[in-house]
Amino acid sequence: MAKYIVRRILTAIPMVLLITILCFALMHFAPYNAIDAMTTPKMSPETIELIKAKYGYDKPLFIQYLRWLNGILNGNFGYSIVTKQSIAGDLAVRIPNTIKLVLPAYATAYILAIILGLLAGSHKNKAADKVIDGISSIAIAVPSFWFSMLLIFILGYKLKLLPIVGMHSVGKEASMADFLRHFIMPFITLTFTFLPANVKFVRSSTVTQFSEDYVLVQRAFGASRGEIMFKHVCKNVLLPIITRLGMALQLLVTGAIITETVFGWPGVGPYFIKAIQGMDYPIVMIILVLSSTLVILGNLLSDILYCITDPRIREMG
Amino acid sequence: MKKFFMKSTAFLLASVVVLGGLTACGGKDPVADTTAANDSSASGSNDGAGQTAAGGESTFTYAIAGDPGANVNVITTSDRFGLMTIKMIYSPLYMYNADGINYFLAKSIDTSDDKLTYTMHLRDDVKWSDGEKFTADDVVFTFEAMADEKNAGWAYSQLVFPEGAVKIEKIDDYTVSLTMPFVNSAAIEMFSQIFIMPKHIYENVENFENNDVNTKPVGTGPYVMAEYSPGSYVKFTKNENYFLGAPSIDNFVYRIIENENTAMTAIQSGEVNAWIGTPAQVAQMNLEAANLTVYPYQEGRVGYMMINANRIKDENFRKAIFYALDKKAIADAALLDPQYYDLPWSFMPPNSQYFTEDVEKYEQNLDKSKEFLAASGVTNPELTLAYNASDSLQSTSAIMIQEQLQKAGIKVNLTGVDATALSQQMKQADNPYDMYFGGYIMGIDPDTFSSLFESGAPYNYMHYDYPEMNDLFAQGRKETDDAKRKEIYTTIQQKLQDTACFYPLYSNKRLLVVSKNVSGIEESKLVPVYTFEDTSKLQMK
Repeated sequence: MAKYIVRRILTAIPMVLLITILCFALMHFAPYNAIDAMTTPKMSPETIELIKAKYGYDKPLFIQYLRWLNGILNGNFGYSIVTKQSIAGDLAVRIPNTIKLVLPAYATAYILAIILGLLAGSHKNKAADKVIDGISSIAIAVPSFWFSMLLIFILGYKLKLLPIVGMHSVGKEASMADFLRHFIMPFITLTFTFLPANVKFVRSSTVTQFSEDYVLVQRAFGASRGEIMFKHVCKNVLLPIITRLGMALQLLVTGAIITETVFGWPGVGPYFIKAIQGMDYPIVMIILVLSSTLVILGNLLSDILYCITDPRIREMG
Repeated sequence: MKKFFMKSTAFLLASVVVLGGLTACGGKDPVADTTAANDSSASGSNDGAGQTAAGGESTFTYAIAGDPGANVNVITTSDRFGLMTIKMIYSPLYMYNADGINYFLAKSIDTSDDKLTYTMHLRDDVKWSDGEKFTADDVVFTFEAMADEKNAGWAYSQLVFPEGAVKIEKIDDYTVSLTMPFVNSAAIEMFSQIFIMPKHIYENVENFENNDVNTKPVGTGPYVMAEYSPGSYVKFTKNENYFLGAPSIDNFVYRIIENENTAMTAIQSGEVNAWIGTPAQVAQMNLEAANLTVYPYQEGRVGYMMINANRIKDENFRKAIFYALDKKAIADAALLDPQYYDLPWSFMPPNSQYFTEDVEKYEQNLDKSKEFLAASGVTNPELTLAYNASDSLQSTSAIMIQEQLQKAGIKVNLTGVDATALSQQMKQADNPYDMYFGGYIMGIDPDTFSSLFESGAPYNYMHYDYPEMNDLFAQGRKETDDAKRKEIYTTIQQKLQDTACFYPLYSNKRLLVVSKNVSGIEESKLVPVYTFEDTSKLQMK
């Protein structure tokens, strides 16, 4: 197994490198570059050359790439073109804020999804299944920004129960109660966003397991419904669900972009969107690299989890 | 192994697709279904807006759409929200806006007889927020830092010219002289809006755009920065020693709300006290019920349509287009209410002292349009009008123009383009569009407009090439006699209208929505970029 895991990790490294090359190249071929953002047409060509040299844009492309990569590896993510701030410093503030929001929401959605999915899958085509599956189908189609506006309108504006923007009221950073009041609406939105796809996944996986021969055999031996469910089906259903956990890793950075923007939550979302609008290339690149690296790591993680939990895979490796 | 590789490759592709999707939706603001926010009229919200009663202190909360960042400094910061933050903390020598000069750290300016040297007399009663005295050294230090090429200061090109640099000299502790290398009537404007930083704090700073000092600013402005919470807000507390009198409101907060719909709900629910809206957004709100007042103010912006002179070379044809347009109808469609705009008749904003109405106005006249069309000899005219697809003002105007030109027998094809892509294309003389839109807030001095019309000038997207205009702009720049300058710029405006390339559409105002318990808006003066010229004059009931 150790051999398999090492091999998986080794294949992930070139993948991450490829991602960085891809991100860098895509940004390079964009119609507008960082220099355009920093200079104005009024500047003399000499000044523009000076700025180019200052930021290293006068060097050949692969040198620029290597410098950039070297920076990332050393934790120097560069500086924002617009605000001139260190990106690493900005992200150090923003990623925890996003995690604070995404992690509880995803955990809640994940647990709810297992319960609801098993319930629906084991009662296929009965009332409970129809309700759960029906609602999930609708919910999957509901855009999160619309749902959040709805919450804001009802809870924040009409009933005036909750504050609309931000993570804290000004000057109440230490107050947990104040944080929770700000937290409720984006939390509900995100749970609601993550839930339906997971429910559908668990449901279909349960339905598949129930149609397997071993269930039929158990039935023939006179096993009760509960026994079949918890002793046999559950184990098989939960296996792919564990791997889903790994694949959700990148959500910790980019999982709430729209929701955060709507609620003015000071996480990665508004930062990323503002960077795209302001053509703040260094930030866009870093977030792309970060998020895609997490996708690769997440998959690596789920492969490893799979390998640990399922002996069949171990043997295949 | 192969299977795993395939799997990983699939994930790689999937991640690229997912990320691509993210970028795509990030590019434009989530176009939220505004129904939720729209129907908000019914509720009679009469709770005290913004009374964040923390120990009876008054707090004014202003919603802004972007994060100013922690590295705000007077040299390199040039974005709107950064400048708004600077205006709170620091003071300039004076502000120069459409209403003229308003003195802050300077008391008066003397101009030498040769119109080259400007002597600034400074206030001697100003203290930095750390108690040090403000002197001429701070001014010299700031201007020298701004004129140093390596600092990449925003006003560098206003202090250093191909002909030489402005000479900055300290005469005594409260007098500074600035000497231009050549006569330029716009000099007073060029020296304005430069905020002064404390020499004793920044003396040893090498890199202005990124250092430890920026996060603990020491200034002379009406407020002192108290707290910056990235992505959330910037909080200021009042400067009791402000040289124009301590502000009446204790705390001032810029609350960062990037999503327009959220901001719109927040101003209506009273979570913020002030916000900038568009006419369409304001029309959706029930201002009375939410206790709000709208203050439209002129930023001197001119929105216009330009004809690509490189493609449509025939003046008669261009005139045929202009005579077919109805400016008022376009402005009404795009900006909804006449109190939200002024109609410009030339390239100058109507609030400029050089603005003249004595030009060819091209009032809609379909007969004239047809005459000019016949004179141009163009048959079956068909034009392409490009516009920024995500700008509602431009798209509405484009549809109106298409409809109006249709009536004159000119077919218009509309092409909605991404804003950045369009501006890149516009720069090329051989771009495929006949007409497109533009908008600018230029300086007060008429010479700042030359960059739009001089041959080969940086913003000359019409690819306009009239040597006569170049000469006139050059004359205006050198002329120091006000009456004569006015004459020159009147001629320029007239000639420009006669060549029919530039069609001014509207001068739209900025709409500041403020809760009714805030007063003193007029006294604090609404100005471009910074919103308030002096926040210390605001009051809250």
